[in-house]
Amino acid sequence: MKRFFTIYEFELKSYIKNKSFTITTILLAVLLCAATFLPRFIDMSDMLGIEKNVTGTEEDSKNSKDSSDDDDIDDTTKIGIVDEKGIFKDTTIFKQAFEDTSILAMKNETELKKAVKSEKVSAGFDIKDDLHYEYYVINRDMYDDNQAIFESLLTQVHQQIYCEKKGIDYASFSAEYDAPVSCTEKILGKDAGDNYWYCYALVMIIFMMIILYGVMVATSVTVEKSNRSIEVLVTSVDAKYLLFGKVFAGATAAVLQIALVLAATLTGYHFNHTLWGDKLDMILKIPGNVLAAFAVFGIGGFLFYAFLYGAMGALVSKTEDLNKSAGSLQMLIMIVYFIVMFQLPTPNSIIMKICSFLPFSSYSAMFVRIGMGSVTATEVITAAIILFLSIFGAGWFAARIYRMGTLRYGNPIRLTSALKNLKNN
Amino acid sequence: MKLEVINLTKSFGETNVLKGISFSVESGKALGLLGRNGAGKTTTIRILMDVFHANSGEIRLDGKPFDPRRIQIGYLPEERGLYPKRQILEQMVYLAMLRGVNRKNAAANAKRWLERLEVSQYQDKLLETLSKGNQQKVQLASTLVCDPEIVILDEPFSGLDPVNSQILQDVVQELIHNGKIVIFSSHQMSYVEEFCEDIVIINHGEVVLSGNLDTIKRDFGKDQLVLNAIDHTPDDFSQLIVHFLPDLVHITGHSKDGVIVRPCEGVTRHELLSKLAQIQDFTIERFETYKPSLNDIFVARAGE
Repeated sequence: MKRFFTIYEFELKSYIKNKSFTITTILLAVLLCAATFLPRFIDMSDMLGIEKNVTGTEEDSKNSKDSSDDDDIDDTTKIGIVDEKGIFKDTTIFKQAFEDTSILAMKNETELKKAVKSEKVSAGFDIKDDLHYEYYVINRDMYDDNQAIFESLLTQVHQQIYCEKKGIDYASFSAEYDAPVSCTEKILGKDAGDNYWYCYALVMIIFMMIILYGVMVATSVTVEKSNRSIEVLVTSVDAKYLLFGKVFAGATAAVLQIALVLAATLTGYHFNHTLWGDKLDMILKIPGNVLAAFAVFGIGGFLFYAFLYGAMGALVSKTEDLNKSAGSLQMLIMIVYFIVMFQLPTPNSIIMKICSFLPFSSYSAMFVRIGMGSVTATEVITAAIILFLSIFGAGWFAARIYRMGTLRYGNPIRLTSALKNLKNN
Repeated sequence: MKLEVINLTKSFGETNVLKGISFSVESGKALGLLGRNGAGKTTTIRILMDVFHANSGEIRLDGKPFDPRRIQIGYLPEERGLYPKRQILEQMVYLAMLRGVNRKNAAANAKRWLERLEVSQYQDKLLETLSKGNQQKVQLASTLVCDPEIVILDEPFSGLDPVNSQILQDVVQELIHNGKIVIFSSHQMSYVEEFCEDIVIINHGEVVLSGNLDTIKRDFGKDQLVLNAIDHTPDDFSQLIVHFLPDLVHITGHSKDGVIVRPCEGVTRHELLSKLAQIQDFTIERFETYKPSLNDIFVARAGE
């Protein structure tokens, strides 16, 4: 055990002494912490959708309002309208519906097209009748909601015309038609909507952690083959200690880096959350049980894959060949990532249930179920036991591959031949 | 301590690499493991170090099964390798600690060996910044940093200049003097002759010659003479011997000093010398007992 700690310490130092590792950690921590202070220096209220705290004298306020109005005139979006049949009798409803938008009346379709093309207006509507219109825009945004707003207005006008024709009082019709329904939500379990974003973020973090640090573990094994130090090492100490020391050092470095970056971000947000209008709570205010599940399953999953990466590293003797041997493992990690991401909105689906027990996928699927779905304590414990038994299985398998690949320099060893060799021995 | 290798066999696939290798070596002695490329020296060493498992045979230390991780062994492999991007002292301490030496002793040993091998000024430098020769010395210092009882050196002189070779020779002599077991594999016969009391010559996975070097040399040169004549090359002179002395000697070889001959049965040295003195066609320059070099013995046994 003493030798395991010797290896662990030596390997961990190699991460910490690595300049790119240290610089990346510090830079990320400082940048993310600084980002949480942004609302102190930049007015982000519009972006965040929160009301400004107006302080100062009335005159200041008035001046500010005036200048704001001036800005609005310059910056306001303009929309052109062609209404040759006079469908819209009251044009003020446009202004109410399209906030911060100037409505410019156009004579005909040709003038509207010209205005859109010359970017005098950002978009335009040519109203044919109370149920038909044409929409003009140069480049349509992915999130363009002009049409949805306009269609709602046109529907309203159509209803008014219909009521007039039928002699129905539009006001009373409208009051009944759009009668507000009152609801008081009583969620007895978990609100997937609330937990969605931090589960999403944690799945991404663990995925990146496995890909990034798994490759580092594989590289550290391959480097020992390429610099030929492996022969001295395996004749000094049991190969199992060497591999376990490497993998645990990699896991510590990964957890240390992520913990430092997260701590810096959370601390910064703690001091600035009111300025953010608590808008980042959905990502940064993670419940303790989800964090604990992330720690157990996330670190467990990392260790499981890190051992497999170590085995893949032992199959090659040049770092440039590493992609060949680790490619299939990376493919498996990607598949698991996409399955969990696609199933995130339905955490209780059968696919998520199966994935939450398999050691290849439980690292993300189980804590998503804990965060967003319904899961019993027995299921969590069973999945954890399967995962930790699999970690030791992967460790044992990887140590045997590592030992077998010790003096096999040259061409990469195929995984199938390695397995055959292990079986024969 | 007595280390015994008994009847080791090893095959890789269909190829039989070792076909029953046996030898032994005791404390305070050095054993030279000799053989041509691919003869099986490194495989034997790797089996000793438990890198490979033998198909059959055993290794014993003082009569008990040998486990290389239960005794301090300094191993300098044929494929040299340390961490190029780590500080020298740091990795030496690490390697010693892997062999069970505590941190304090490991640091002291590392500094002592770096000093002894005249590379202590580089202890805080990265290995990759050193010349090849100095890296080789650091590798040797790393081999000895655990204060080993058994030292196994696979081609230790490769890459060293004459001055550094001399330092290494002195270190090996010290190890032998301090009662260590030294197993030494090399193609450089002069070094083996200098250190090793015993040798083992391996050819095609078999021991073709083994034993005490002095005895081997004596036996190998037994009843043989080196003859040479003034103004004759060994080749010319061997033709004259065939012509004038067909019933007195058999030619067994050539050396740079002359023709090596074995007198026929019943022929004494006195009779042979008298006969040579009577021949007018040449004048004898050299008439002496043949003392073979290790190189001669090696070529004779492993150079078919």
